[in-house]
Amino acid sequence: MKIKIRKRYLFFVLAFASAIISAVSSGIDTIAGDLIDNYWILSISCFILALIVSFSCSAFLSIPFNGKSIGSMFLDPSFRRIRLIRKKEVFYHILAGLGNAITTIGYFALFYDKDLGHSPSVILPFSQIVILYLVIAESITDKDTPTLIDIQSSVIVTFGAILGSISLTGTISVSALVIVFLVINPGSMLFSFYQRKLKMMKINERPNDAINIRLWNVIFALSFTLLITLIFDVFNNTTNIIEGFIASVQFFGWMFAMAFGTFFSFVLYIRSLGIGKASIAQAVRSSVIIFSIPVTIVLSYFGLADPFPTDPILLLIKIIGMIIMMLGISTFALALTKAYVFIKMEPGYPIEGTMKRLWTIKGVNRVAALAGPYDFIVKIHTRTLVKGYERILRKVQEIPGVKEYRWQSVLKEWEDI
Amino acid sequence: MRVSNKVKKMINAYILLNMKPGNNDKAIEEMRKIEDIAKISIVAGEYDIVVRAQVKSLGRLLKVTDNIQMINGVMKTTTQIIEKEITA
Repeated sequence: MKIKIRKRYLFFVLAFASAIISAVSSGIDTIAGDLIDNYWILSISCFILALIVSFSCSAFLSIPFNGKSIGSMFLDPSFRRIRLIRKKEVFYHILAGLGNAITTIGYFALFYDKDLGHSPSVILPFSQIVILYLVIAESITDKDTPTLIDIQSSVIVTFGAILGSISLTGTISVSALVIVFLVINPGSMLFSFYQRKLKMMKINERPNDAINIRLWNVIFALSFTLLITLIFDVFNNTTNIIEGFIASVQFFGWMFAMAFGTFFSFVLYIRSLGIGKASIAQAVRSSVIIFSIPVTIVLSYFGLADPFPTDPILLLIKIIGMIIMMLGISTFALALTKAYVFIKMEPGYPIEGTMKRLWTIKGVNRVAALAGPYDFIVKIHTRTLVKGYERILRKVQEIPGVKEYRWQSVLKEWEDI
Repeated sequence: MRVSNKVKKMINAYILLNMKPGNNDKAIEEMRKIEDIAKISIVAGEYDIVVRAQVKSLGRLLKVTDNIQMINGVMKTTTQIIEKEITA
């Protein structure tokens, strides 16, 4: 028996769970960074382990139990078993995989930036600006136009994240900022944006599942990382690829733990992408900064990371940053209005044409042509009711042949996910 | 943009409900247990609840509407079968 829950809650549960797991595995990143010589080797061994872990986890999750796979019971109800990718998925997987490879190499490169003194925490806050990149990308794809509230909350979350994770112990280097803005953020934008497209796809009339998306993303990302490293090796006469394979055997334990956490973190993140906009999922996930504090404290207790700052001003800044961030996230959560518009048509207007016209209205999420008393039901998502009238109802009235329409605001909703 | 049409195996329908004023929470609890219901929305307007059903056959759809009508508090149901749909 399936139980319906409120979609909005599930979205936040998934994104927060993803952030918590990700905080733990990024703690392990720091340890792995200490053990391995350079970022090319680290990236390669990271993806090799990611492949091993993703494949074995997906295989385990494919085991049937009571007619369902284990994965569908605990992680993603749409998951059945490991499968090959479809032709229509290939293009998106290439872009998402490339994004993952670029952002991972860039992220690890910061670990070894001499100016940062082995403390990526100085620069990492700026990688949260990817939220703003996503807002821009979403405004280009016109169905997802961000509203003023989207932009406001994104800016609030981004700045909150920067304040919340700031550390005044290192210096900020130009090369590191270039890496963040031109490598990590664009890569991570590709990564989120196309993983979302994949999750929104239907495979055999069922929603695409997060587990296969993650597995195939790792396969593509590993291929791109190998390719990029190979080019680097050929030009610089180095042997990073071979050393990458050696390192993945040598530091198997730590790398395995990191890959294991990352797998679950991303499966949950991809599922949340299937529910909400990429920018909002990313914003909620940036709460990783809050969850990484206990991880840092534990690591520094064991001498595995730099000591946690105890300067009261610094702590105050961090706390302010976090409060701002949580406010931004809750604004995202609370400011969404949904509605159904039921439409009756005059006879003599082609259904296809009217459907297309309804679909071009911004904020329209679904158009269904019906048999029954009404001719169309249109589902609307909007941030403000004012916009609902100005931008939506007025456009509906302009469509020729519309005889009658009824606006039904959704007050509360439950859904199978 | 994805366009799904008649070749599709599943039948999707909206069932619009008018409820008696009173304890609707209990009725919704019951509805949440019905297997073929994909979504339940409480709405403000002409109707009180909009249910989206996803079923394998028209027979199953009849069963879903039957089950809904058995629930205490449901006054009237109007079923609208989806012939064609565009979703984001």
